[in-house]
Amino acid sequence: MRYGMVIDLKRCVGCNSCTVACRAENGTPPGILYHRVEKYESGKYPAARMQFRPIPCMHCQEPACLEVCPTGATYRREDGIVLVDHNKCMGCRYCVLACPYQARHALRRINNYYGPAGRTPYEMLRQKDLDKGTAVKCDFCVDRLEKGRLPACVETCPSQARYFGDLDDPESEVSVLIAVHRGTVLREELGTKPSVYYING
Amino acid sequence: MSKKGQYEKVLKGMKGSQEPSPPSPYSWKEAEPGSAGEKKTLFGLCRACMQGDCATLVHLEDGVVVKVEGNPGAPPNWGTLCPKGNAEIMGLYNPYRIKTPMIRTNPVKGLDVDPMWKEVTWDEALDYAAEGLRKVREKDPRGLVICEGWGQRDTILRRAFGHAFGTPNETGSHGPLCTVHYPSCLVHAGYPVAIVDLEHCQYHITMGRSLGPNFGVVPGMRRFSRAIARGMKLVVVDPRSSYEASKGEWVPIRPGTDLAFLLAMAHVMLHEIKVFDEWFLKNRTNAPYLITPQGEYCRDPDTHKPMMWDPIENRAKPYTAEFKEIALSGAYTVNGASCRTAFDLVKEEFAKYTPEWAEAITTVPPKTVRRLAKEFVEHARIGSFIEIDGFTFPFRPVSLNVERNVTNRRGGTYADFVGKIINLLVGNIEVPGGCLSCSFRGPIMRPTEDGTVTPDYEAIPKPFAFPPERATLQEFYPHQHTAPHMVLNSILYPEKCYLPYRLDAWLTVGGNPIRQNAQPEKYVEAFKKLSFAVTIAFHMDEPAILSDVLLPEHSALERLRVAPFYLQHQSIDDEVSGLKMIQLREPVPTLFNTKNVDDIFMELAERLGILYGEGGLYDHLNRAIDWVDKTDGLNMNAEWKLDINRKYTLDEIFDRQVRGWPYSNGKGLEDLRKKGYIEYWKPRKEFYLYYYHPGNQTRHPLYLMGLKQVGDRLRENLAKHNVSFPMIDDMEYVFDLYRPIPHWVESSEFRGPDRGYDLWAINWKTPYIANDAGNLTGNPWLAEIYAKDPWESVILLNPATAARKKLKDGEIVVVESRYGRIEGRLRISELFHPDAVGVGGSYGLGTCQSNPLNRLGPNFNALLSIDPITFDAVSGGQDTAPAVKVYRKEGAR
Repeated sequence: MRYGMVIDLKRCVGCNSCTVACRAENGTPPGILYHRVEKYESGKYPAARMQFRPIPCMHCQEPACLEVCPTGATYRREDGIVLVDHNKCMGCRYCVLACPYQARHALRRINNYYGPAGRTPYEMLRQKDLDKGTAVKCDFCVDRLEKGRLPACVETCPSQARYFGDLDDPESEVSVLIAVHRGTVLREELGTKPSVYYING
Repeated sequence: MSKKGQYEKVLKGMKGSQEPSPPSPYSWKEAEPGSAGEKKTLFGLCRACMQGDCATLVHLEDGVVVKVEGNPGAPPNWGTLCPKGNAEIMGLYNPYRIKTPMIRTNPVKGLDVDPMWKEVTWDEALDYAAEGLRKVREKDPRGLVICEGWGQRDTILRRAFGHAFGTPNETGSHGPLCTVHYPSCLVHAGYPVAIVDLEHCQYHITMGRSLGPNFGVVPGMRRFSRAIARGMKLVVVDPRSSYEASKGEWVPIRPGTDLAFLLAMAHVMLHEIKVFDEWFLKNRTNAPYLITPQGEYCRDPDTHKPMMWDPIENRAKPYTAEFKEIALSGAYTVNGASCRTAFDLVKEEFAKYTPEWAEAITTVPPKTVRRLAKEFVEHARIGSFIEIDGFTFPFRPVSLNVERNVTNRRGGTYADFVGKIINLLVGNIEVPGGCLSCSFRGPIMRPTEDGTVTPDYEAIPKPFAFPPERATLQEFYPHQHTAPHMVLNSILYPEKCYLPYRLDAWLTVGGNPIRQNAQPEKYVEAFKKLSFAVTIAFHMDEPAILSDVLLPEHSALERLRVAPFYLQHQSIDDEVSGLKMIQLREPVPTLFNTKNVDDIFMELAERLGILYGEGGLYDHLNRAIDWVDKTDGLNMNAEWKLDINRKYTLDEIFDRQVRGWPYSNGKGLEDLRKKGYIEYWKPRKEFYLYYYHPGNQTRHPLYLMGLKQVGDRLRENLAKHNVSFPMIDDMEYVFDLYRPIPHWVESSEFRGPDRGYDLWAINWKTPYIANDAGNLTGNPWLAEIYAKDPWESVILLNPATAARKKLKDGEIVVVESRYGRIEGRLRISELFHPDAVGVGGSYGLGTCQSNPLNRLGPNFNALLSIDPITFDAVSGGQDTAPAVKVYRKEGAR
């Protein structure tokens, strides 16, 4: 079993539902989003269009973050999910620099969503266990997986552009999509072997 | 400071502030002690956009809302949810909300003037509001304006309150820039909008609108992605390469010129391709009707019915007769009059609208117009059929749909009608694959005595009266949509508007025309002239800060709501085409000293003495029928009507509505609480209105006799009272728009370049904000993302245009129309037509007591005008593409 994700760039319309659903699932403080959608233009007028690239953590098979972590806080599970043990993390932020996908963040400052207007009950409850100083990132929604759900970004996508499943099973939906549509990964040349693939419908 | 810096500054809080909020009288209400350790999930209903039907699950822990997500098991979104719905918690925990009733003590009003609010009890505030309204009512109940809008779609008592009060002046801030209704209401009895059948459509041309992705409407997005994935060809004719255009073919067009493009496309179909759905035109339109030289139907002297020509019998007969053959073309002498078919008259008018003629106006190459017309006709599969649920329909898998950025200018109603003509030529109206409406599904296309579709909704002309009864001046705009801009004119220029009474008070219920209409300084001026303003308030927005008393209402999550599943805008497919449903939102515990809007209405009504008895609020509620969904909506039916002499809670009213719903099978509110919705599936064949009047049983107007008749009557009425059209000197400027055959007319902005305004500003709704209900612009989860979005909260220019004007990416520029000016950061983008200035979303303006995020970004609406010269005279719609000039702001860094 190796969890992986497929994102269909033909279906993606760049709405950022995934990014906000990730924030809603994890309650991260302002400035820290485990997911982002890169937006850019391609082509020149009049043949110009918008393009989008949703970027979660890649849960690499050979993660750069794990390689540089001095304490072993960053570890990779058997099912492929890469996690951070915040008790071991010393906050050196080497992983933040090392990740070629900018998927890692350091909890340095925990600001209010509404700034000087005050801290909401939501933040007071959801962020009370945040370990300031440690590295945080997307965890493929492990808690949801344990309950038989899919990651929040996958379930929320109104264009149904995201898929999730077992990359070790050649007949899983994700494996078939990758094979049929020749899925690619980002920055393949770096050898991180991401578990997130992109297809073009 | 860069745009990113501006936003970061506002979004950042105090350094390391993990402390609770500073001490303040406005504390968050403590969670109920009993909720400690409790985990609960409630059924929710998002309603942050105008589609408003996404089912959600609202999770609470210890009495705090910790997550809102799509409800995986429930239609119409099946767990998917847009960024707005996902960010809904921040609307609840918004410290900029109005938290307690307040009364102004500073008599001076302004967007940047502190009202010096005094906090009062609910009784004090309601008494004060009722007293102010009572004075207006005693003088003249017409003096009260009630302005609704997308900010508050959960009230079920607002209309009844207005009727009981006795004011005809209810209007909506959402309408004047989106007058997209009348042609669909006339041609196929449809309201609110014409949609596309995305289950079957194979070729779709969309203009000036969103199919879902452009402004983040989930059910539309679901259908859109499925249609694109199965290979539907999408053509987007628009000045902007939008989210949707990026998934299909983008045809750039100069802003405000869509009428010319559509006329040229119709010209190509009529004069060059000449392939039509002849059966449809002869049997389901008034195209073959004979028209006299006066432009009237040639009528049978005995039956008075319009006549058609039978070329085999060589005579004219009433359309109800048996025909061996029907002539679509020809000139015939009937009872001494030389008549022609409507079809020929339309064709003749369109002869001059060649693609070459249009190119000078639109910049669209003639080759492109011809290709699109050809592809449209080819994909229409004229003559083919499809069987759905055992019923055989004509099958026409093409549709051309236009909405507000096409319709909103002088001539925009004509543009919409030309789009209908294009569709009628291939026979795709209200059949599978084609152009449908999203109205009540049933036999509403039944024919009039003249055989054409009975006009419904906004195509039913509002009666004339002089002096006018209504501040919206619907007497002069019989097919208008909502009209706060007219009300504004009535306040500022009552003599010019012939209004025989004074407007004295303004009640705001979710509508903010100050920020989201035009010329905000004029709205402020008007508010200052009124003697009383009340807002049922959510946050300190522009109407709130100009009010005399604030009655704070719940946020969306705190409002109990039972809503009928709203007819699907933009499109339909088999996910929901047969679905009838009522949905529930269970409220979360309230945070502040707020009330439900409908409790506020009942309290006000009771104090005014208009809640009970005949003519009271409850009486009007009993008699009301859902405007959009008619008998399929939630009405007070049969034995579930209210006893008009006793008080009800909102729960009780909803329970009665559920029990009286035609598809609830005796279930009530408690049953609704089990699953969060009650569904009923009708056969899918009943979604297509062709089903109710198949064959030749009704006819769509291709020749717009309804429009002509309303124009003729209006002209007569003006002459009878010896008055001219309000605020317009040249009457022909108005009546030029009431001809039965659309023709080219210039908008007020068309000749901008002659006056030094060489570009046109355009706007669009965005996925983060949509209509900006509930202060989405100020939602920090959304702001954190849109602050980094390259196309949000900036002023966008094509690179060639920027180079010509020697403007650089990132610098501050001014955009100036003849009506207002705004500033913003320039972003150079390939996604825009060279003549367009892109100012998207809903940003800027704000007040001195707003969420600071509300003050950031360029406020597009300040460029628009309330001068009727800029309107389409038929719909009353304002021009959404004003002629502008763009230049560097002097002294800016």
